[in-house]
Amino acid sequence: MPDNVVQRGARRVYQGVIEHVTAHNADTRSLLIRVPEVNEFHFVPGQFISVAIPIDERRETRAYSLALSPQDGQPLEICLNLIAEGVGSHYLFGLGPGAPLSFTGPFGLFTLEHPREYETVFVAEGTAIAPIRAMIRHALGTSGHPPLTLLYTAADQAHLLYRAEFETLASQHPNFRFEQRVSASGRLSALLDEIEARYVRADAGRERHFYVCGVGNDVLRVRDLLRAAGYARRAVEYERW
Amino acid sequence: MSDESNADNYYRLMSRIRVIFENGEPERVIEFDPAQAPFQHDGQPGSILDVLLGNGIWLEHACGGNCACTTCHVIVKRGFDTLGEASEQEEDLLDKAPGLTPSSRLGCQAVIDDPAAELVVVIPRYTINQAAERPER
Ligand SMILES: Cc1cc2nc3c(=O)[nH]c(=O)nc-3n(C[C@H](O)[C@H](O)[C@H](O)COP(=O)(O)OP(=O)(O)OC[C@H]3O[C@@H](n4cnc5c(N)ncnc54)[C@H](O)[C@@H]3O)c2cc1C
Ligand code: FES
Repeated sequence: MPDNVVQRGARRVYQGVIEHVTAHNADTRSLLIRVPEVNEFHFVPGQFISVAIPIDERRETRAYSLALSPQDGQPLEICLNLIAEGVGSHYLFGLGPGAPLSFTGPFGLFTLEHPREYETVFVAEGTAIAPIRAMIRHALGTSGHPPLTLLYTAADQAHLLYRAEFETLASQHPNFRFEQRVSASGRLSALLDEIEARYVRADAGRERHFYVCGVGNDVLRVRDLLRAAGYARRAVEYERW
Repeated sequence: MSDESNADNYYRLMSRIRVIFENGEPERVIEFDPAQAPFQHDGQPGSILDVLLGNGIWLEHACGGNCACTTCHVIVKRGFDTLGEASEQEEDLLDKAPGLTPSSRLGCQAVIDDPAAELVVVIPRYTINQAAERPER
C-alpha cells in the first residue's frame, strides 16, 4: 500500500496538548499545540486538521487550518474566532494550557507546496489568513520564489491578524508585498472592486496564480470574477469555510 | 386525496441506497424519504453523507462536509444520474484529488434529487490522504 493512503477506519488520531494560548483580539485566539507522540507532524502548507469536539455523545469535529508552515516545527498553531452560538469555537475557547486536544489529519488540497513560477496573489479575510500564513511563511523560505502579494481585509486593525509579522516580512523580502485593507464588512466582498481593477483591468496578463480563502459565497464571487476574466481554472485556488 | 393514495405516495417516494464497503463489512440497504432531509447537520441536506450518517453508517467527512477534503469520496455504481449535478467547487476538488474514478462523487455534495432514487454506492477501502500520516522516520 502506498504511504499516502489510509485504510478506512484506521485513521490515526493524534493526542495533542495545548501548550499556549495567544489572544489576537477579543474574539480571536491561537492555540499552540504540542503533539508529544511525533517528532515531526508532516503536512503541506495550507492543510487543516480535524479537531474532535466532544459534545454530549456526538462525534463532532471541526476543521482548523494549520497557521504555521511545516518548517516551523512544533508546536502546531491553529487560529480561530468565536462564533455566536458556535459549539466548536466555544469549546475550544474554553481550553487553556495543558488541555488535551484530539485530532486527525492533515487534510485538504488547498495547498502550496512548491512556489509557482508566476506572481502569486493571496486574498484573505480575517481568520481565513491562517492557511495563507502557512503558505507565505513556507514560500518565503524557498529560494527564487516568484513575487508574492497578500491582499488582506478585516473590519478593523485588531482583526488584521499577524499584521506586524507580515509588515516585517515585507520589509525583509522585496519580492513580498503586503496590502492591508480595513473595510466596513471585513469580508472578501470589500476587495472585489480592487481585485477587478488590479488583476483584470490593469493589464492583459493572465499568468498570475491566486489563493483565496474566506467564509461563505464571497469566496466563489472572487473565483468567478477571476475565471471569467480569463485566468485558468487551476490558477484560481480557493477554500471556502 | 384519499388516505389510500396518500399511503401509496408515501411508498412511492421512498429512495433506497445499497451501500457496499470495499473493506468487506457487510453491505447495508437504507430506505429513506428525501423530503425529510436533513437527517443530521454535516454536508448538503439530502446528500449521500447526510443520508448515511443519519442512518448510522459512518462515512468520513474531515472538513465537516464543506467540500474541502475528499475524505467523503464514494463511487456511485448505480443511480449516478439521479444525483444533483456537481457544483464547480466539487468539480474543482475532484479535479485535484488523485485516484478518483469517473463515477466518483463527494458524498457531502452529491444530493439525491430523485424522490424514488435507487442507488448503489461503494465506500472505498482506502481514503486518499494527500500529505501525511507517514510513519515516523
Ligand atoms: C477546510 C476548513 C478549514 C477551516 N479552518 C479554520 C480556521 O483555521 N480557523 C477558524 O476559525 N475556522 C476555520 N474553519 C471553520 C471551522 O471549521 C468552524 O466551522 C468554525 O470554527 C465554526 O464552528 P462552530 O462550531 O463554532 O460554529 P458552527 O455553528 O458550526 O458554524 C456556524 C457557521 O459559521 C460559519 N463560519 C465558519 N467559520 C467561520 C469563521 N471563521 N468566521 C465566521 N463564520 C464562520 C460557517 O458558515 C458555519 O456555517 C475551517 C473550515 C473549513 C471547512
Ligand atoms: S467531507 Fe470534506 S469534501 Fe466532503
